[in-house]
Amino acid sequence: MRHWLDRLFILCTALCAALPVVIIVFIIGVIAWRGGGALSWEFLTDQIRSAGADGGIFYNIAGTLILLMTAFLVSVPIATGLALVHGVYLKNERTKERLWLLLSVLNGVPSILFGLFGLIVFVKYLGWGKSWMTGGVLLGLMMLPTVAVAFIEQIKSLPRHYIEAAAGLGLSDSQRVWSVVMPQCAGGLVTGSLLGLARAAGETAPIMFTSTIFAGATIPSGVKESPVLSLPYHIFILAQDSFDPAAGTNLWGTALVLLVLVLGLSLLALPARLHIHEESGND
Amino acid sequence: MLSLRNAARHWTWTRLASFAFTLLAVAFLGLMLGLFVWQSLPAWKHAGLGYITGKTWYFRQQEFGALAMIYGTFVVSAVALLLAAPVGVGAALFTAEVLPNRWRLPVKAAVELLAGVPSVVYGLLGILFLRNWVYDGLESFDLLSGDTLLTAGILLAVMILPTVMTLSDDALRAVPATQRRAARGLGLTRAETAILVGFAQSWRGMLTALLLALGRALGETIAVFLVVGRRDNALPESFYSIPPLVEAGQTLTSKLGGSETNIAYGDPLHWAAIVGLALFLLSIVAGISWAGARLMRRKEECDAPLA
Amino acid sequence: MQFHVITRCSLVSGVIFFAITSRADTLKINGSTTVNPPAAEAAEILRREKGMQIQVDTQGGSSGGISMLGDGLVQIGMASKLISDDVRARYPGIEFEEIHIGEDAVALVVSKDIWDAGVKAVSKSQMQGIYEGRIKNWQELGGPDRRIAFFNKEPGRGTWEVFAHWLYGSAKKTPSVSFPEVGGNEETRNKVASTRGALSQLSSSWADGKRVFALAIMKNDGSVVLPTNKNIASHQYPMSRPLFLLTDGKPKAEAKTFVNFILSDRGQELVRKHGYLSLKQLE
Repeated sequence: MRHWLDRLFILCTALCAALPVVIIVFIIGVIAWRGGGALSWEFLTDQIRSAGADGGIFYNIAGTLILLMTAFLVSVPIATGLALVHGVYLKNERTKERLWLLLSVLNGVPSILFGLFGLIVFVKYLGWGKSWMTGGVLLGLMMLPTVAVAFIEQIKSLPRHYIEAAAGLGLSDSQRVWSVVMPQCAGGLVTGSLLGLARAAGETAPIMFTSTIFAGATIPSGVKESPVLSLPYHIFILAQDSFDPAAGTNLWGTALVLLVLVLGLSLLALPARLHIHEESGND
Repeated sequence: MLSLRNAARHWTWTRLASFAFTLLAVAFLGLMLGLFVWQSLPAWKHAGLGYITGKTWYFRQQEFGALAMIYGTFVVSAVALLLAAPVGVGAALFTAEVLPNRWRLPVKAAVELLAGVPSVVYGLLGILFLRNWVYDGLESFDLLSGDTLLTAGILLAVMILPTVMTLSDDALRAVPATQRRAARGLGLTRAETAILVGFAQSWRGMLTALLLALGRALGETIAVFLVVGRRDNALPESFYSIPPLVEAGQTLTSKLGGSETNIAYGDPLHWAAIVGLALFLLSIVAGISWAGARLMRRKEECDAPLA
Repeated sequence: MQFHVITRCSLVSGVIFFAITSRADTLKINGSTTVNPPAAEAAEILRREKGMQIQVDTQGGSSGGISMLGDGLVQIGMASKLISDDVRARYPGIEFEEIHIGEDAVALVVSKDIWDAGVKAVSKSQMQGIYEGRIKNWQELGGPDRRIAFFNKEPGRGTWEVFAHWLYGSAKKTPSVSFPEVGGNEETRNKVASTRGALSQLSSSWADGKRVFALAIMKNDGSVVLPTNKNIASHQYPMSRPLFLLTDGKPKAEAKTFVNFILSDRGQELVRKHGYLSLKQLE
């Protein structure tokens, strides 16, 4: 009886564990199968033609990369500051606890709310109209907790004697930061950024009201009224409103490109991420 | 490291910049909350408490009652959680307690990838597959269409599954291996060990996992938008009745992501009513994230009293 | 120390981004998804041939186009409905100029099962019954015993306004109802095609007669009118709507070039190509 139950338990849990594997294989399979036909050199290097039915998605790829680059540049300094304050400068446990709570709350804020915030502040109040800058800043703020937490975890796992040695040399906090903490913990910053970028790349809600349009934008040369095209918004609009059956193929092709980009970023972060989990698992 | 205070302390540039950036992050959250409160004031003045309890939302008649959307949001998230929780926890029990180490990598990698799939792609697959599956699969219920709260809930369940699974797996693996060995040595089966040792000690961590997953489910927009049906004022006769589950509905996020957000600007009252929805959403999700983070902290204190 | 450099670089580049000033002379167009296909293609041609900077977007449908023109965010709005006096009152400083570029009809489309079961026409009073929830089953229209799955176009869409105007005289007099809503034309067609007993309003050029089928309108005398080009041009078919480009005052500079192009023979050919009636066909 007990062994029978044991078998049943293992079977049930194995099925549960198999489910995510099956789902991800299904998703990648379907998108690759339906979108693979659209992929060509031309598709990646040409601009949109005939309202999405023809041509390629060059400026959509470029726009998404511009948004990601901006998000990266926005989030890295702020995340570094947050992590240093939490990991090095703050001595009061209660304050640190509060800062941590704040990061958790920020991490949970739904992406559509970033979009609404951007719409009110940047698009309307500052009068930027739709701008790549708004999208970049919003995505940067959105990925901020991911980057900061990865960095903080790395600082926490820093061997004690490194710090003690640095302190023994009479280094100030800030000297310790640049000579010990930053070089040793850079990995956390990279992992966090990759994960954050993977999440930001696929987001539609923060940028749909604030920075992307369907057609006609190229590489922006200013800030005000300078929207970009993007991959997720293109998919969103085509899914609701492709103007031509031929757009279907391009829709799936765009989804495939986005999926490759996002999964590529996740895969780059994967080794470090699994490593962190395994380590904490063996404590 | 924090107890070492003999290092000289200066207000260096690094320090100043760090604190400035931290303040910036704090200010951003405060600004967002303040902005939503301020911009939604006209709606509160207009409808009072009826803004929350009102059952009808007809913007042309200036009737703004958000109850149906709050209901929709909770139903969709509850469905997602009910589906994802057993599967996620089950999968975590398997990966942490049963699966040999060399097999862990592919499973964990798959889960990480699943977490990375963009929500617009989930939405696309929802439109083309899931809504038809729900429509055909529940034919005996005589569904009006495949766009239902249930469809959105199922789609969300897949989207939050990685969160539940990863965090539960982390919680289980934080349980010392020596305890497992001791339990097996006493003659317990793997299942009994997993439940009595692993699960019993990590349920708090799993609860945190579920809270964080719930937070994500409440705020998901694009995927829900594409399959939920976007039907206003879809409230059940009583809160126990099932039918609304298989009918189209509206959530806070599907309303915010929809056309009304564009139309409303320029009409102060309508705009306030839209921003008010954002305020609800922010309050609920922030509360849940806060509770989750507190629970996680408590768990860490229990796990490692020496730290 | 290398990280110091990176942080510094990101700060500096951030400042540079902010310092770049805005670029003018981009023609921005927003509005109805119905007007979008010919307008977007015209924009492509003008970009290619005259090197003009034109951005086309479809946020919020016709209402979005009108309000963004009113707020001065775009130079040209696209609308598939007349501008109401309410709107004119809301933007007293704006001289809305409606430039007629073609005509479109709103069809009531049904799914294949309903069409095959013999429902080919609907009268105004029957449609009112359906909209007000009094008629819920296709039996009452001589069809099969199946619930009517009505998808309503979301607010702000020109299609909905034309429909409401036909049924009740104006959007304001239309009773408040709550049906599942659909947005873009592709979404509408997809959902109607994949749902048994479905009914929705759809731009007539999208009623392909393969997946979704346009019902005729039954008049009081029992005669039926199909949304054919001839019936639309002669206004026999009751639910037709003009397609407009909107400007603030007479179009100037780039906007003028664009408007003139759409009104030229080549531009009008685009209107026809996308399934609408050109001005010539209407004469």
